[in-house]
Amino acid sequence: MATTTTANHAEKAEIFCRDEARVDWHSKALWLLRQKRDRAASSLPEWEELRELGSEYKLHTLSHLGEYLEQFEANCIKQGIQVHWAKDGAEHNRIVHEILAKHQVKKLVKSKSMLTEECHLNPYLEQHGIEVIDTDLGERIIQLNKQPPSHIVVPAIHLKKEEVGELFHEKIGTEKGASDPTYLTRAARQHLREHFLSADAAMTGVNMAIADQGAIVVCTNEGNADMGGNLPSLTLHSMGIDKMVPNMEAASVLLRTLARNAIGQPITTYSSFYHGPKPGGEMHVIIVDNGRTKALKDKLLAESLKCIRCGGCINTCPVYRRSGGYSYNYFIPGPIGIAVGAQEDNTNTTAWACTLCGSCTYVCPTKVPLDKIIAYQRRLKAEQGTLPYGKDRYMPIVGKVMGSATLFNCAMSVARFSLRNLPNAMLKPFSGAWGKYRELPKAPKTSFEAWYNKNRSE
Amino acid sequence: MSSKSAILAALDSVAIAKHEMPKVAIAPRLDDLVGQFDASLKAVGGSLVKDNAIEALQQQVAALVAEGNQVISQVAEVSGNRETPEDPHALRDINYAVIQGELAVAENGSVWVTEQGAGIRIAPFICENLYLVVKADTIVANMHEALKLINLQDTGYGVFISGPSKTADIEQALVIGAHGACTLTVYLV
Ligand code: SF4
Repeated sequence: MATTTTANHAEKAEIFCRDEARVDWHSKALWLLRQKRDRAASSLPEWEELRELGSEYKLHTLSHLGEYLEQFEANCIKQGIQVHWAKDGAEHNRIVHEILAKHQVKKLVKSKSMLTEECHLNPYLEQHGIEVIDTDLGERIIQLNKQPPSHIVVPAIHLKKEEVGELFHEKIGTEKGASDPTYLTRAARQHLREHFLSADAAMTGVNMAIADQGAIVVCTNEGNADMGGNLPSLTLHSMGIDKMVPNMEAASVLLRTLARNAIGQPITTYSSFYHGPKPGGEMHVIIVDNGRTKALKDKLLAESLKCIRCGGCINTCPVYRRSGGYSYNYFIPGPIGIAVGAQEDNTNTTAWACTLCGSCTYVCPTKVPLDKIIAYQRRLKAEQGTLPYGKDRYMPIVGKVMGSATLFNCAMSVARFSLRNLPNAMLKPFSGAWGKYRELPKAPKTSFEAWYNKNRSE
Repeated sequence: MSSKSAILAALDSVAIAKHEMPKVAIAPRLDDLVGQFDASLKAVGGSLVKDNAIEALQQQVAALVAEGNQVISQVAEVSGNRETPEDPHALRDINYAVIQGELAVAENGSVWVTEQGAGIRIAPFICENLYLVVKADTIVANMHEALKLINLQDTGYGVFISGPSKTADIEQALVIGAHGACTLTVYLV
């Protein structure tokens, strides 16, 4: 679903960048995750082999996806699990509501699921009079703060503990001024436990769906999916078609890389295999397309469906770390957000929120070629005639100048002359966003080519 | 056309060339499995008891019961003071749960617990403190080995538990004790 917004990536990033201290803190917090990931990855000699296996299992599954989905459904039914198919977000929401309405559900506890975010499930259910409680601590914080997630694994990473303290004081009655993370977490535990115990139904996302078992795997550190999933008799699990894996061996590969790459843990605290309803209960799985089969028609975009949503590419991204999760005009930020969401961005700018440094591709546990996909998204934008403002004018010129040695040398000597002789204030506007928070370089007297010809050419 | 048929029809032709099913051929690290498990468990915030573990656990639980704690035990040698209810909500006041694990994984300190071992699915999550009993000779090196041994056909629900519940959602500060158990001790027998 397209976000109806007009502010482009740079404008939204600018809002985030006004508070320089916060930007530094945000960048460091995410880099810390990257460092933890590096330590976890390097502790396994087979890490690169696991990435290759992860990629191959995903490619195998995606190239046989129809067969595996059918096998999965048949095995689920054998286990007494009810399976539903939704072609888009609207159908997904309708199915969920029908199930909940049939059981007269008033309160639903939900654990983290980017898919329900994608489908805008919460507002839909609330319109129908169902109270939805997000139970992951980060998700609950942003739900109380009336914000969307700013990251797919650590959704409240943009908030400082003092802000959480203030919010909790107002909403759940913690002491004024208290900001100790342990105290706040304990208070949230009490607050959410009441909701777990009084919910009529629970809903979770799905990390993996195992075709030959008819089982789904849900991974959390907090235990919220299992506190929800194992209390009320009705449970629902929503999954994109891309969550399929063929068998337990494939699951073992992804379970070894997911948490290591996300947060540097060897595995999440809980990796739960739901393989049938609890005694006397009901279990539903909703399989959702919502644009995924369309992506699968394109050779390069199809590879974005190998993603297991670890967030590793987001943590390492130099643009995300300094522009924040709300600058991307899509509910998933960072490199993977651009890869799967650039076509939804009607400002046509997020595809350029990337330096093409390739760090994301390097860390990805299933080898999603993120930098290639992002460059490709730019090409798609150019082909559609939707280059962002400015780029459509100067890009063709850049092409001409770079293509001609005489024009290029001439342009560079003008640049060197200007950098040496014109005041900064006059030049800075020409350097665009790049020059905003930087000093312009000192220009050398001669070009490298001239220097080389004079000194080294014999 | 139903949504199922529409999705399957759209999947008839995908742009990814057919890829063969890969095969995991990673040699498990078999040196000192107990030592590896111990180190991994510590790293995820749990603790290990390996000397005279069953006696130690029996004494510990007897003392807890004497102090008036609510203890549910699914392990034959250990007796708690609560029965397994039909309604999981009835366990809301449980202080300690004693549960049999089926196998343990050296590389990540996790223990595989099924609904049969837990008595009721909610038990390992709703308790304040969790004691897992696992046989030393069931420790395997890694997740590949573990998932080879697990037969899901035997159970409707199983979970790898690696340490006590935790979160770092507030400023990336690690806090032990989110929604599940706040402490976890593994007794190796
Ligand atoms: S693209 Fe790769 S690194 Fe990024 S979230 Fe997905 S799996 Fe993780």
